[in-house]
Amino acid sequence: MTDADSEPNNATRKMDISSILTPSGVIPALRSGAKKAVLEELAEKAAEVTGRDASEIFSVLLDREKLGSTGVGGGVAIPHGKLNDLDRLYMVFARAQNPIEFDAVDEHPVDLFCMLIAPEEAGADHLKALARISRLLRNQGMCDKLRGAGSADAIYALLTQDEAEQAA
Amino acid sequence: MIDSMNLVILIASILVIVAVFTSLVSFRVGAPLLLVFLFVGLGAGEDGIGGIDFDNAPLAYFIGSIALALILFDSGFETQRRTLKIAAAPSLVLATFGVMITTGVIGAITWLVLGVPWLVALLFGAIVSSTDAAAVFFLLRVGGINLRDRTRSTLEVESGSNDPMAVFLTISLVELIVLGGGDNVAFELLQRFVLQIGLGAIFGLAGGYALVQMINRVKLEPGLVPIITMACALSLFGATSILGGSGFLAVYVAGLYAGNSNMKMSVGVRRFQHVTTWLAQIAMFVTLGLLATPSEFGAVIIPGVILALVLVFVARPVAVWLCLMFFNFSRNDTAFISWVGLRGAVSILLAIVPMVEGVPEGQLLFNTAFIVVITSLLLQGWTIRRMARWLGIIVPPRHGPVDRIDLELPGNANQEVVIYRVHDASAVATGQRIPRWARPSLILRDGTSLRPHSAGPIQGGDQVYIITPPRHVELLDQLFAGPAEGANDVELFGDFSFPATTQIADIGRLYGFAVAEDDIDLTVADILERDLSDTLELGDRIAYGTVELIVRRTDDEHGVTDVGLAVEQQIAKPKRNIPIFQSRSELLSIWKDWQKRRRDEKNAALQIGSTSKADQQGILDAAHDDDNDTQHDLGATDKTVGTDPDANSDPDTPADDGKRA
Repeated sequence: MTDADSEPNNATRKMDISSILTPSGVIPALRSGAKKAVLEELAEKAAEVTGRDASEIFSVLLDREKLGSTGVGGGVAIPHGKLNDLDRLYMVFARAQNPIEFDAVDEHPVDLFCMLIAPEEAGADHLKALARISRLLRNQGMCDKLRGAGSADAIYALLTQDEAEQAA
Repeated sequence: MIDSMNLVILIASILVIVAVFTSLVSFRVGAPLLLVFLFVGLGAGEDGIGGIDFDNAPLAYFIGSIALALILFDSGFETQRRTLKIAAAPSLVLATFGVMITTGVIGAITWLVLGVPWLVALLFGAIVSSTDAAAVFFLLRVGGINLRDRTRSTLEVESGSNDPMAVFLTISLVELIVLGGGDNVAFELLQRFVLQIGLGAIFGLAGGYALVQMINRVKLEPGLVPIITMACALSLFGATSILGGSGFLAVYVAGLYAGNSNMKMSVGVRRFQHVTTWLAQIAMFVTLGLLATPSEFGAVIIPGVILALVLVFVARPVAVWLCLMFFNFSRNDTAFISWVGLRGAVSILLAIVPMVEGVPEGQLLFNTAFIVVITSLLLQGWTIRRMARWLGIIVPPRHGPVDRIDLELPGNANQEVVIYRVHDASAVATGQRIPRWARPSLILRDGTSLRPHSAGPIQGGDQVYIITPPRHVELLDQLFAGPAEGANDVELFGDFSFPATTQIADIGRLYGFAVAEDDIDLTVADILERDLSDTLELGDRIAYGTVELIVRRTDDEHGVTDVGLAVEQQIAKPKRNIPIFQSRSELLSIWKDWQKRRRDEKNAALQIGSTSKADQQGILDAAHDDDNDTQHDLGATDKTVGTDPDANSDPDTPADDGKRA
């Protein structure tokens, strides 16, 4: 009882986006126009930043989608999954010029993709990162800004801006 | 003579027109509509601008009784079997013991405040002891307050079934006062009670059965069916009352029976009754408003308000708490049920009885009851929505707005035609496949009628005509309605959605928590259904492993169909958890805790007293025991799902959370 009242909740403790996303992990304009192709493109980008095999990442993401779409509504999807022997969490952010059918919960097509890939043994950190992303993209203003941002760097700056402010 | 008749017709109809127009104001400002009707009556009355001098109490009672009988019949008719099933027990306890407790408490305070003989004081308690169904439902509907099924149903059935009890108590007490009791008052009362309730229930069932049989067998002109239904209801009321039973109970029970049987043309009857109920409400409130003389209220306003406050803050809460203690309602639901104990026309109607029967304090009781009703409507009626929000008990709606018309098919095919205007954002318009049983027979698009096979996919704005059994209508609503407000609210339904058939083991692997051995083969829906037992509602959540599972979508045939997953465990508590209205199990654990603490204190004191050497050890032991107690206490209260702020608050040990214990 006292623990809960006095200590901050574990899950709300900060998980910085800047620690899992680099500017090179941002795709400002996806080439693909269909769900699977998007996942492939995300997996390729993830392969670049992690140095792992793209097909391996793709199959992890696809397995997750088979359980239920990660399209969370409002044009946002958060594909995610776990990979053996990964050194840490990695995020890839992608934006589509034309929204893509993704079987999202609200049936609306998706144009903002935030992919998260985690080591098999990452328990709490994985959830913390998902929660952080989910909260961030729940913010309609943030989504509008991301849609309007000019470049990959601008998108990266938006995603990490409040962290930068806090650090300053 | 003719002229005065015309005048009465003119005045009565103008009053109805005014009352109907004031409903516009009421819908807009959210004022309790019935209060507005009451004020129309008051305004037209002898002290108001209308200056109508109406003091015919027997006539007012006559009009009010007919109106109440019709309202109760309709209220029973509209109560679904399912509602009755989940709420019968708590509602019946509230309608009987609850009414008695309220009567007792208010009786005692009335005795103190008004200084009337104790029987008269009790009579006043009985007069204001029942809640007003119409007031409660109008406010819930207008306020857009969507409650848990069980809470709403309990309120619904309670407000319908407690009127007969209040009527019984009032009339019995009046007779006791006027005629004087025999040697054995208690026995006589009991005998009367059995007769009233017993005959009421039996005649009600028999009447309902006879009505359904007659309507289904005799081929009647459709336009006459609602009329004969109404006439049968009123004759049942009259016959039962004459024979010594409770006529009000009889019509309510008959309504329940007929409304839940496959009665022919029930759609038409429903529509007709919808109209008559409105008219009955208006007639009753306006008449009662007319009957009152506000200039006399000054004398009783203080005791009236005091009694109203006692009713709202003491009598009703105590009655509700005692009655619902054993039904495992959450504290906040209990609090809400206690708050919506609105008094209404029935109380004013019953207050006429002592006047008509010549109880010396009749006028005093009537005026005081009037004040109580107005105060209750103002205080509770106006705050019902805010209270529901404050208590955090509003649940998300199942679907958004529906644009539907029901038409009855001739004959007894047990099928009806439903016409929907398809919502642009409905499931069907956004591409969901239409199940075979929901295929429309005809589609109207831009004024042209199309055969389904040539119309292509259904679009928003189409009018679809579907022939279907009535039981499918609710499912159809979900297909053609707009999206529910907040249907994808992440706070309410979690970050991700899974079909109900998803294995919990897959979820555990994906999100990194261990699944108990016994649960390995279970689906997420199994887990929810197990842990939330029979009280499953949209938005209900449980902690599991390091995540939370949430009831995201349900339908009547399959139970849970979609399960939400929140990656963050939040403290699954309502906004507030008020410190009263504990359920039986909560009280038990508080009692046990207290006993144990006392025992421990005693032990500690003994040990300190006996040996000085063992002092430290004794204190240590006691402290240790205390720790255990606290643990135990937490575990016990955690079982009241979704209500305990202490549950799930520790993020480091979520896996064996109390709710799964």
